[in-house]
Amino acid sequence: MKKIFLLLAMALMVIGLVAGCGKSSDSGDKKSGTIGFSVSTQNNPFFVSLKNGIEEEAKALGLKVKIVDAQNDPAKQANDISDLLESGVSLLIINPVDSAAISTSVEMANNKNIPVITVDRSADKGKVVAHIASDNVKGGEMAAQLIIDKVGNGAKVGELEGIPGASATRERGQGFHNVADKALTVASKQSADFDRTKGLNVASNMLQANPDIQAIFAHNDEMALGAIQAAKSAGKNVFIVGFDGTADAEKAVQDGTLAATIAQQPELMGKIAVDTAAKVVKGETVEAKIPVELKVVTK
Amino acid sequence: MKIVMSGIAKAFGTNQVLRDVNITLKEGEVHALMGENGAGKSTLMNILTGIHKADAGTISIDGVERTFPNPREAELNGIAFIHQELNIWPNLTLLENLYLMRPKKNRFGLIDNKAMLQEATAFCEELGIELPLTAEAGSCSVGQQQMTEILRILMLDAKVVIMDEPSAALTERETATLFKMMNKMKARGVAIVYISHRMEEVFSECDTVTVMRDGHTIVTKPISEISMDEVVRHMVGRSIDEFYPERTTVPSDVVLDVQGLQPKGFKHDISFQLRKGEILGVAGLMGAGRTEIMRAIFGVDNHNGGSITVNGKPLKCKKPEDAIKAGIAFITENRKSEGLILDFSIGSNITLPNLGDICPSHVLQKNKLESFAETLSKKLGVKTQSIHEPASSLSGGNQQKVVIAKWVGKKPSIIIMDEPTRGIDIGAKRDIYDLMNELTDDGVSIIMVSSELPEVLGMSDRVMVIQEGRVAGILNRDEATPESIMTLATGGQ
Amino acid sequence: MDSKAMQYVKKLGPLIGLIALFIIISVMNDSFLELSNLRNLLRQVSINAIIAFGMTFVILTGGIDLSVGSILALSSAIMAQLIITGTNPELAILLAAGAGLLLGGINGLVITYGRVAPFIATLATMTIYRGATLVFTDGNPISGLTQDPIFHAFGQGDIGGLPIPAITMFLAFIILWFVLSRTSLGRKTYAVGGSEKVSYIAGIKIDRVKVFVYALTGMLCGIAGAIITSRLNSAQPTAGTGYELDAIAAVVLGGTSLAGGRGHIVGTLIGALIIGTLNNGLNILDVSSFYQQVVKGIVILLAVLADRKKA
Repeated sequence: MKKIFLLLAMALMVIGLVAGCGKSSDSGDKKSGTIGFSVSTQNNPFFVSLKNGIEEEAKALGLKVKIVDAQNDPAKQANDISDLLESGVSLLIINPVDSAAISTSVEMANNKNIPVITVDRSADKGKVVAHIASDNVKGGEMAAQLIIDKVGNGAKVGELEGIPGASATRERGQGFHNVADKALTVASKQSADFDRTKGLNVASNMLQANPDIQAIFAHNDEMALGAIQAAKSAGKNVFIVGFDGTADAEKAVQDGTLAATIAQQPELMGKIAVDTAAKVVKGETVEAKIPVELKVVTK
Repeated sequence: MKIVMSGIAKAFGTNQVLRDVNITLKEGEVHALMGENGAGKSTLMNILTGIHKADAGTISIDGVERTFPNPREAELNGIAFIHQELNIWPNLTLLENLYLMRPKKNRFGLIDNKAMLQEATAFCEELGIELPLTAEAGSCSVGQQQMTEILRILMLDAKVVIMDEPSAALTERETATLFKMMNKMKARGVAIVYISHRMEEVFSECDTVTVMRDGHTIVTKPISEISMDEVVRHMVGRSIDEFYPERTTVPSDVVLDVQGLQPKGFKHDISFQLRKGEILGVAGLMGAGRTEIMRAIFGVDNHNGGSITVNGKPLKCKKPEDAIKAGIAFITENRKSEGLILDFSIGSNITLPNLGDICPSHVLQKNKLESFAETLSKKLGVKTQSIHEPASSLSGGNQQKVVIAKWVGKKPSIIIMDEPTRGIDIGAKRDIYDLMNELTDDGVSIIMVSSELPEVLGMSDRVMVIQEGRVAGILNRDEATPESIMTLATGGQ
Repeated sequence: MDSKAMQYVKKLGPLIGLIALFIIISVMNDSFLELSNLRNLLRQVSINAIIAFGMTFVILTGGIDLSVGSILALSSAIMAQLIITGTNPELAILLAAGAGLLLGGINGLVITYGRVAPFIATLATMTIYRGATLVFTDGNPISGLTQDPIFHAFGQGDIGGLPIPAITMFLAFIILWFVLSRTSLGRKTYAVGGSEKVSYIAGIKIDRVKVFVYALTGMLCGIAGAIITSRLNSAQPTAGTGYELDAIAAVVLGGTSLAGGRGHIVGTLIGALIIGTLNNGLNILDVSSFYQQVVKGIVILLAVLADRKKA
């Protein structure tokens, strides 16, 4: 009996403690000015940078942000967003896990007259005041062009795709193929779910099956970094191009192991998102589509 | 080492298990501790070995008062308890079991198997026993496992060894070896406490007997100054003559006809018949295949060929449910693992095979289930406060009654009972015998597999003797004697 | 304190924990207890709860089902495809449940007739069903389903202020509670988990009971999949990833023993509510998602410690 109460008391303490120290600011009041941010995952440095960009800019502007992490589960994101709406935010910045699945949540916010800004991935349906994203199609084209320039016309390439169906996968792939289909030979394309370990495995298999691959285009840097390991253990010199421009990838470019990365600027993206949000809250009009610059990072 | 326990009292909740117990254990003496289950024998020994704490009373060892905080401490001080459930790791060899807690190491600090094997072999020789020391314990017989346990304790230089029903799971030969070991131990000055329900063993092997009843020590006497009759009277207040009830049922038509049945792994066919209202005793040595035959008939295990006819209808028996449908019930020898769901209440256990009969719609009706279980529980005299108590709260005898109750509820025409009274106290045994008579009076036929000769002789109308997987002979009641049965069981002519 | 009262307290343990959680969170943030948030909470809990109900049956028999998330995804994908190809959406919901039933039934058959340990069997089918979903959907979400109001309501609507997924959850709860406590099938579920040997010798058709519990769980996953499909207005090939762990956690929080034979679906409902309340409450309290996982783990650990038999 005693033990149960003891355990219960401990449980309460833990929750109290975590709630106390985990809180970014003293929230609780439902006054306007708080922004809700639903991020797709924090298991990927890109989205961590995005979150950091948002947090820093919000701090600079004196705005409060409530952040929830969907852990790549669209159903959890729907829950998270309804929680944010319940806790009374005045604007939502959403980085969707999935463009189709997020629609109902956007519509729910529309019904409550809470403006929505989407970042990186868009929403298929529902009213969004602004969409902030890198130009992924353009980025894909840049990657293909880079391979043509550096490796040569007609080079044999492998493609590591992202999570099947994610808009980034579709758009980067589309852009890449726009250019590559005319001037390169895509020997193999397979999904590695934007994941470094899977990237390593899939790339190893690819190199096993097609030993003459000269270049690999990965839909993100994590997979590219995996592919570097795969090429290294296969003892091959492969021209690898990543996408996103994470800190790890830029370091790899400096070290010469990664040929290039099409760098997104997630922190800039986050900053622009908060700036746009601040304008929306003030009632100013904003552009419906705000592109964020990409840059090719090479040594 | 001399141990004096005096004025020991112990209660579990409101249940006063020991009231005022006095017992003295002396060096080189085999002291029998007798009494019905629930009399307090195990609790008393648990207090001595530090499993429980006494509420009152003192324990003095060689004149010094002391108690042990746990069994390990007691063992290190030379007092060891060999429980019915042996402390054996079935996945390790006997040798590894012997040395698990104190392995011998060579000078590199590695386990020295050779030295251990030498020591253990020497020890076995000294005691005059043979053990397959390098065999996996799980593949050894219960007797060999038990000897290993005794050996382990003796290696710890035990001064007092408590054995709880050590012969219950042993074959005749293993029992003989056990007694030989006990004599050697006695010669080394070890005091032995021998808890047993088997009168013959107590009278042939023990020096002193203490009888307990309802938490009291009733009498302590040298075995030479007491008779079996007196011991039984002290235990139950009944004399031994009345122990087996008179058989009055006259068997009639054949209800079960087994022809050419060949259980898996058997070289011979098994054929026999069972009549209505008959008790067919099945005797034989351990490992002769008695249980396997019963399991094959009931469909628990597979069998090749042969026919089983029940009440004139052929039985294709692949699963127990087929046998049950044909009106056969099976009370297995493993009460705890095959007879009862210990977590379930007494009532739920009794109704388990009967759910469809009590509630044909398969929607459970509480009052119907309860009255069903209540009736059977009363009929069989299960001693419990309520049928809602878990089955695990009952003593062995009462658990067995619950197992019988759940099958009696099926109204079977044939009941197979495998060791129905193993590990059960005398009072409950008598209840079960009475019940068997009642059942046969009602026209039920019983096959009773038993390793206790007196029980086979006392209860059976005919005795089938199994020897190494074949029917060695079927004896009528007037032909069956301990000698005739043992002759057949051991393959003699 | 005598043992009966103690047992009573133990049975009430999860409920006490849930109430305590409610009190703490509502003290720290007043929007938690608002009616609209409670409705929101119930809607969120329903999917895990429905899966966990089935998982309770499976665990009571001493088994485990790791494939729940994959069954959910596959039946959701099948349902979406049916709708896109013109099947009546209400019928598609039923067919999703049917698909789940079938997939769960396959689990059961592999486990009983194939004599494969449940952990291994469902680990394999988890991968197979997930792969089948990806093949079936070609890795893309299936969206642009339908404007059918009943289909939308199934995941998003309310009746009399109660979210429809919550109503589905309560209906399932009542039916399954009845099956578990008041039918011989329920009793046999416990019996198989309590002792397979005893049940076999008592003539219980063990294989049938097992196939039933896995098929039931599959069907419930199909229903949960239909709710998610409606809620997200699309079928996600990666939906339900990791849901088996949440379901198992709910069952364990509710006091059901992983060894089988002991526990009840009432506890599972409370367990699912505890997990849902934690998710929702910690979001509302603006606790970082990293800490949220730590807290969830600690709560599960504490619950198991409190439930442990007297040492």
